[in-house]
Amino acid sequence: MSRIEAKKPSLCTNEPLTKERVSFSLSVLSGIVKSCYGPTGRLKQLHNGMGGYVRTTSQSSALLGGLSITHPVLKVLTASVQNHISRFSDCGLFTAILCCSLVENFQRINFAACTVTKISRHLLSLCTDYLKSEACGCRISVDFDSIKTLLSLVHSVLASKPACMLNKTEANHLSTLVLKAFLLTIPHTVETNVVLGKCVIVPVKDKRVMDSTVFPGLLIEIPESQLARTFPVIRVSSSTIKMALFCISLSGDLSNIGEGTVIVHHGISLEVAVLDQLLNLGKQLINDQVDLVVCQKVIHPSLKQYLEEHRVITIDRVGVSMMEPLSQMTGSQPIAALHSVSPTCYGSLKDLRTESFVSKNFLHLIPNDTLVCSLILCNRNEMAWDELKLACQTAEHVLQLTIKQPLALLGGGCTETHLASYIRHKSFTLPASVLKAIDCSRTQYQLVADAFSRSLECVACCLEHDDGEILTDMVYGHFWSVQSGFPSDCNWSDLVLKCGCGICSNQQNLNWTVLQSQCIPFTPQSCSNEPSVNSTDHLVLDCFTAKCSGLQVAVETTNLILDLSYIVEDQN
Amino acid sequence: MASAASLDVGRLVQEAEALASAVRGALGPRGGQMLLTRPTGETLLTRDGRRVLEALNLGPPTARMMVACVSRHHSMTGDGAKTFIILLSKLLRGLQAILDKREGSPFCEDIQRRESYQKHCHSLKQISQSLMTFQTHILDHIMAQDLRKHFLSAFSSWEGEISRDTMESILEAYFCGRIGNSHQKLLSQLSCDFYYKCISFKNGRNEMLNLVNEYFVELHSAVTGLPVSNSRILEGFVLHRDFAVYCPADGDIRMLIVTESIDSALSASGLEFVVNAEVQYQASQVWITKRTEAIMKHLQNNNIKVLLSSVKQQEIVTYYAKISGISIVECLSSEEISLLCKTTGISPFIPTRDNICSEITETMIAKFCQPLVLGSKRYVHLGLTKTCAFQPHCVIFCGPVHGVTEQHASAFHGAFKMLQQLFKAVDLSDGCEAQPETPVNGQQLKTSMAETEKQFIDFSSLVGENPSCNQTDLQKSADLAMPIVELESDFMFSALIDRGSSVRELQKPPVKCQHPSETWIKNKSEPVVTNHRICNDAMTAIENTSTSVVSKQLNSYKHTVQSYTNVVIQAGSVLPVGGNFEILLHYYLHSYAKQCQQPKITLISTVIADALLSIPKILYSTTKENSFTQVYFKATSALQINQQLPMHQQGLESVYCKYQLVASVLHCVAKLLTIDLIIGIRRLPQKTEVNDSEEDL
Repeated sequence: MSRIEAKKPSLCTNEPLTKERVSFSLSVLSGIVKSCYGPTGRLKQLHNGMGGYVRTTSQSSALLGGLSITHPVLKVLTASVQNHISRFSDCGLFTAILCCSLVENFQRINFAACTVTKISRHLLSLCTDYLKSEACGCRISVDFDSIKTLLSLVHSVLASKPACMLNKTEANHLSTLVLKAFLLTIPHTVETNVVLGKCVIVPVKDKRVMDSTVFPGLLIEIPESQLARTFPVIRVSSSTIKMALFCISLSGDLSNIGEGTVIVHHGISLEVAVLDQLLNLGKQLINDQVDLVVCQKVIHPSLKQYLEEHRVITIDRVGVSMMEPLSQMTGSQPIAALHSVSPTCYGSLKDLRTESFVSKNFLHLIPNDTLVCSLILCNRNEMAWDELKLACQTAEHVLQLTIKQPLALLGGGCTETHLASYIRHKSFTLPASVLKAIDCSRTQYQLVADAFSRSLECVACCLEHDDGEILTDMVYGHFWSVQSGFPSDCNWSDLVLKCGCGICSNQQNLNWTVLQSQCIPFTPQSCSNEPSVNSTDHLVLDCFTAKCSGLQVAVETTNLILDLSYIVEDQN
Repeated sequence: MASAASLDVGRLVQEAEALASAVRGALGPRGGQMLLTRPTGETLLTRDGRRVLEALNLGPPTARMMVACVSRHHSMTGDGAKTFIILLSKLLRGLQAILDKREGSPFCEDIQRRESYQKHCHSLKQISQSLMTFQTHILDHIMAQDLRKHFLSAFSSWEGEISRDTMESILEAYFCGRIGNSHQKLLSQLSCDFYYKCISFKNGRNEMLNLVNEYFVELHSAVTGLPVSNSRILEGFVLHRDFAVYCPADGDIRMLIVTESIDSALSASGLEFVVNAEVQYQASQVWITKRTEAIMKHLQNNNIKVLLSSVKQQEIVTYYAKISGISIVECLSSEEISLLCKTTGISPFIPTRDNICSEITETMIAKFCQPLVLGSKRYVHLGLTKTCAFQPHCVIFCGPVHGVTEQHASAFHGAFKMLQQLFKAVDLSDGCEAQPETPVNGQQLKTSMAETEKQFIDFSSLVGENPSCNQTDLQKSADLAMPIVELESDFMFSALIDRGSSVRELQKPPVKCQHPSETWIKNKSEPVVTNHRICNDAMTAIENTSTSVVSKQLNSYKHTVQSYTNVVIQAGSVLPVGGNFEILLHYYLHSYAKQCQQPKITLISTVIADALLSIPKILYSTTKENSFTQVYFKATSALQINQQLPMHQQGLESVYCKYQLVASVLHCVAKLLTIDLIIGIRRLPQKTEVNDSEEDL
């Protein structure tokens, strides 16, 4: 019985942004993301209230993935942040906070949406042009000859995730490991198309963070019983280990029967026939002096036993995800035939060892040319481990993006305040021809530019969660924070130590003011030739590509939201 | 059980106005965005009237019918959904006013004796008929006679080429309405680039546009999470699959299309495979493997580097492909395969016993075939060397959310649909064939007219469709046509003078169908008369014109281009945006209504003319410098002294699209008004109950 149910008519909302519901839910969301930002950000606990898994996090990817958002306007906002994260991993909170505060600040000035859109698009192009130009004062180029800037990049990523619960030494240790693992994935010989290798993260929970290590090559977990059976390895050939990699099942099942019928006469067993073929294959492998057989799927026990009798080590059920690194690392081609295996398909390994951690046993495949490495990641508990894994993956992605575009932006709020003062300055010196092209008055332009700068500064302010005072200097336009509880008769220069990114120290006379107080616009100077750039201390750096894109996505999303005039919600 | 309700025009008006109010906010360059949510929770940003109307999930059947009409129109022309519904609501409102008046209305004349309900139906039917008459005869006539002189040509020269500036202003105007001013510039640049990159030679324009429109899904890819400014055009195709096997190759890459599995199975459907012995089974397995290996070797020997497959190939095939250095892309959609076949003109390769040894001819050659990472997905990027009229290119749309990329993609697609419409022409002869009867005394005239017309259509098609024809060709065809024109026009003049008085007498209602056709014939003779003169003008014009840009210079030459054939709308006719078409049509309809002797047509024309004005009214309601009254006043005073309309904006829009829009709206209204009863039925699942319900009726 088919029943036709009438569709419910859709719910329409006119001028959605003026409604109470939007501004309320927007302020809730912006409150959540703002409080998570930075190394001293507050943690959020996500749970379903029914005894499910509880996640403690401050990372945007986990947070936004866990929130269930119903209002369509906020859906647009979170979807664009999530899409940004899936592309770049980093700067998700930055994008979310910037987008929220842009919407709030632009709504406050209350201009027609198309005017704001036009001006903010122009402001965005000013920002991106500045960031991409050589004259940009808030970026530094990454030098691959020394690992210092790379290490700073990784360290900044790990340090900005407080839910990983890392102390200073642990953070340093892990930063080194992540960087080491990344460097292992870079091929030695450079061709036209550089393909990076892979870093496989192996989870080991209930151990100290300091026990984490990096191994070149792959670690494949094997049960202890098998370990006892196969070792010690007696190598047939002295130099390298010959390896065959299978991507088809060696379990003896019948494959590719076709669409028709197969009639089997009584007394004939196809299984026996297939097993016969398998054993023939085993014979060929032994004749070819293969030392190690790895199979993506299952190996038939008889074949396994046969091979082991002839001192061939077998590993099966490695799964499809391991196939690519395995073939990349050993140079072997996945074999899909049961007969006449071409000898060109075999790969080679440098060595084979066993490693054990806590209660797990691993077979360690050591390649000749490292392209693949395994990072054993330890952390005290499950929750912190999840958070740490995400942070390490983000750091790895940041390094990959940096190798494509070897630039980094100053972190710790300095890029935001620097850009804000650049925009303020520019909005006062804009030629009239540009204003005419945008079709707005200078006052309109300056008001929007001010709201734009305020939003950028607002992102920087979110780094401070403990009632401290936030200052900016009038030379570089950097971010300085002062802890709360300072005596009121003090000079600012007695209180500040270093700027947010760590490049500037207070030795210069920098003319500090409180951030977001009215001040005269000035051209922020570049400080890339400061001596501290080359000092040994960690700088706080952000990924250039991710932050640039985050900025653009935030402004574009804001424009989208402001331009909304009508919502049609499907109620079905 | 059925509920029946008679058609209430008041309800129709309410429904249409409710629909119009939903889209009004998004009309024109200053309109805003709409946000739609789907039942699945996805959000979609749009300014597309059709999307919005379809998302409303309306209940009333008549409203659904209106939305269906909008959708049909939109899918054809790629534009005008919002204008459609606004025009529709105004038109219905105007017609309702006529119906309410009753007294003195020409639609309620000789039906006093009937009941009020029947009277109502009758007048609705009358209106509907007059609308159709108007659409088939008078609209074309006004377009041909009055509006045509205002049309500009998008072509910059006789060769039928469009200059980049003109193209940009057409596309910019289009995107202005479709996506608003935020990314309008970027997308119009992108689509303009795409047009010029894809077109390989100018005569292949229509073929190229057809292919782009048919295979647009295959020709674009979307990446979310990146700024919109990263959108770009790539040379070649992007196949939306990853390599199953990738073996890098340089130079000319020979490729093959397969549509079935290369590896043969043990048994095919409908066949039986009998296993007699274990050895036999093993042997057949070995044979299959060997056969696959042999095919792959054969491909390798034929220097095939890439295999494009529509089905998933067995692991054994990928294994041997890897050994033989052949890349494989599998699971391609049937559209992708047919697009590849169409652009290269090859057919899929089927391995059989016969061709396994012979040389493979059905191959295509690529400059490159490499992996391409877009966002998080890996695709195959393919650059073909030898292609048809379509130079393969594809568009990558980037945006922060899926809603944005989808909006841009659909607007881009719509733009190419619109371009397809731009190059269409409307013939006056369409109406001629549709004439049911001719007055007796006009018989002779009619046949001779048809002859002349045929000549002219030939002539025009020669010019319009074969733009590369040179001046001598033109001269020749003009020579052919001219004697006849001279002959016929003299004859027609005398005939018309005679008929001038009789037409007046005939214009009374009894034979209501005849009237429009007659006025139409009378008026049509005028362009014919002027034709040969203009032809000569055009000849001299060709000799001393260099290519010039339409949007910048509006010289008289352009107008002669527009007015020398019998085509109502010539291919490539454009008008400046900003309600110009509506104001023009309004003006000429009004002046037509003043002359027209038939009260019904007069009334209908006035209603349509007034409804048309609603579009510029909304467009100018938000701007500061130009209020609607100012614009309207300027325009009408310019028209009264036969001047060109003042232009406020840079953009241009296709006249054909606008013409289609008015025609579609009239159709829709006519269709709505012919309904007299709306019957609600409940579909019942069992037959017995169906019988019951019949008894109930």
